Amino acid sequence: MTDIFFYIFATAALAGALGVVFSRNTVNGAMCLIGTFLSMASLFVLLEAYFLAVIQVLVYAGAVMVLFLFIIMLLDVKESAAKKTSIYTWAASLIGFGILVTGVVAISASESIKNKAPTMPEASGTSLKAFGYELFTTYLLPMQVTGFLLLIAMIGVIVLSKKVNTE
Amino acid sequence: MSTEIFQKIAETNTWSWIAPELAMGVLALSLLVLEVILPKVAHGAIPRIAILGQLVILGYVVTGTCAGTFPAGEAFGGMLYFDGTGQLFRVFFLGASIFVSYLGMVSLDKRLLPQVEYFHILLVITAALMLLAQANHFVMLFVALETATVGFYILVSYFRHTTVSLEAGLKYLIMGALSSTILLFGIVLLYGAGSNPALAGSSQDSLNFGNLAGFLAANPDDTLGLIGMILVISGVAFKIGAFPFQIWIPDVYQGAPLPTTALLAVSSKAAGFAMLLSLSKVFSALGDWFYPLLSALAVLTILFGNFAALTQRNLKRVIGLSGVSHAGFLLIGVIAARTVDWASTAILFYLFAYLLASAAVFSVLVHLNKDDDSDLTLDDLGDLAKKNGFLGLGLAVGVGSLAGIPPLAGFIGKLLIFIAAFKAELYGLLGVAIVGVVVSIYYYFGILKSAFFDVWQFQADEEEAPTAIPGSALGFLGKLAIVIAIAGTLLLGFYQSPFSSWLVG
Repeated sequence: MTDIFFYIFATAALAGALGVVFSRNTVNGAMCLIGTFLSMASLFVLLEAYFLAVIQVLVYAGAVMVLFLFIIMLLDVKESAAKKTSIYTWAASLIGFGILVTGVVAISASESIKNKAPTMPEASGTSLKAFGYELFTTYLLPMQVTGFLLLIAMIGVIVLSKKVNTE
Repeated sequence: MSTEIFQKIAETNTWSWIAPELAMGVLALSLLVLEVILPKVAHGAIPRIAILGQLVILGYVVTGTCAGTFPAGEAFGGMLYFDGTGQLFRVFFLGASIFVSYLGMVSLDKRLLPQVEYFHILLVITAALMLLAQANHFVMLFVALETATVGFYILVSYFRHTTVSLEAGLKYLIMGALSSTILLFGIVLLYGAGSNPALAGSSQDSLNFGNLAGFLAANPDDTLGLIGMILVISGVAFKIGAFPFQIWIPDVYQGAPLPTTALLAVSSKAAGFAMLLSLSKVFSALGDWFYPLLSALAVLTILFGNFAALTQRNLKRVIGLSGVSHAGFLLIGVIAARTVDWASTAILFYLFAYLLASAAVFSVLVHLNKDDDSDLTLDDLGDLAKKNGFLGLGLAVGVGSLAGIPPLAGFIGKLLIFIAAFKAELYGLLGVAIVGVVVSIYYYFGILKSAFFDVWQFQADEEEAPTAIPGSALGFLGKLAIVIAIAGTLLLGFYQSPFSSWLVG
């Protein structure tokens, strides 16, 4: 049963990803990306990582994609005309694809994938309670530093977008 | 879940151990508060308060380091690891930050831009870099690195009224995001490999440097671990500007405001080497891959940096590309540290010499009278020594130290790295490095030549070249900054005993 669901959602995720690449209309592309994110969230549910699934939907499919759509609307992007692909693009894509295939083959042939553990231990980030405990004990310092990261990001946006003071 | 585990973890959260970083954070926040509280006329004092506060923190760290009262060992549940190297990096980043604050004060005074935010972001970056140098866990490393990088994006595009600064900011943002992605992907692969319970040496907390080193020692030919290592090194190579990842350097250095260029050249590079030094312990089990990779990077970096700098006329691009070659020399130090114990001290010495030399060069450049500092060329230096001998002296000492002319600190720095490489029997690398040094003399003396000898000009051009530097405009602080940089460079050139005591020990 789980296997069937896995194939359904994996296919949907791949189809969405292909849609992002091939769609000429940017809004359609963004919608396909949302489809991919939702399928990924479903895959997380199948792996019993419910918290990650919720975060995926809330943050990526929700907040980030709304931002994407806003920017697309603001920029008023027209449908891009079909451009002739240059030989460099072809060469670069071929090399990139070759490296990707080599990487996937190498990793799937390696010992660390084949040696499956008899029982996988529960990862700490799967349930909300365990995640919260970890965040406020072990990872307290990185979390505080993240606060500073968000602060300077906010100040930076204000500084860079405020009207120039020309007295 | 029992509460005892959490109590145990909470006990290791010893906040007093990171007092300097906390003080930097508090100082950064109080700058923003001061801007709200103080009347508008008193706002000019805020940069001075920032510098003064940092001097106090620097004094605290230096006295603590000299007295050896700072604690050593792990803290925050293995997030941080405190040792002598980390202390020196703290001193380094604080020193660099004070000097960039001074440059910022001079540079921002000439422009109608928000001032306080620059110092706020600078202080947060420095605090993050200080934590980065002592990180012992990939989560801590990544968060500290991202905090610093986000700050850099803002500081690079700070002169947003000039297109070139914005362009540099955008380029740095895209390249920086790409390198962060590569680094993060590597970290994730290492996490996946290290927490597979079917393999020997795996652990629940495999992002901890100690645990990961243990895992890699037990499985030295694990493919995932190997790919992860290569990706992590690529991410770090971006920060130090090593060869295939150096393309952003000339454009970003040129477009960024002068103080930010100094910060990128000094702090960002040093942060990369702080990471590389702690990572070389983690990846020591993969040494057969790790060190050849670094050697290839070092050779290409030295050759590229030096030969690309030969043809440049723009001062900031020359400094950027010469910085690339310095990264190559430092990489040799990291490779030598595999067999020679004191090589990591030599790297620190080199970094301090580089800091002082850059301080001298940049504090001279900041006084060159030009609205847009992105197109400072060698011609703008014309007759600098004749117009203002003091600035000429500062430039000569700074550039001489960068080139490695005895008896300046830069010479001793290069010498120590070369001796370490010789002891580690890295003869090939040594040969490349010496070729690099010889080539570098050419463009460094190109800078000096245009500063000290007459530049031939058309008669008509002379009226359009109002780059005269009035000596009085330097002010007390301007003179003090250059004097400190020159004195420090000379002092480290003659007197290395605080470092040599570590060399012996």
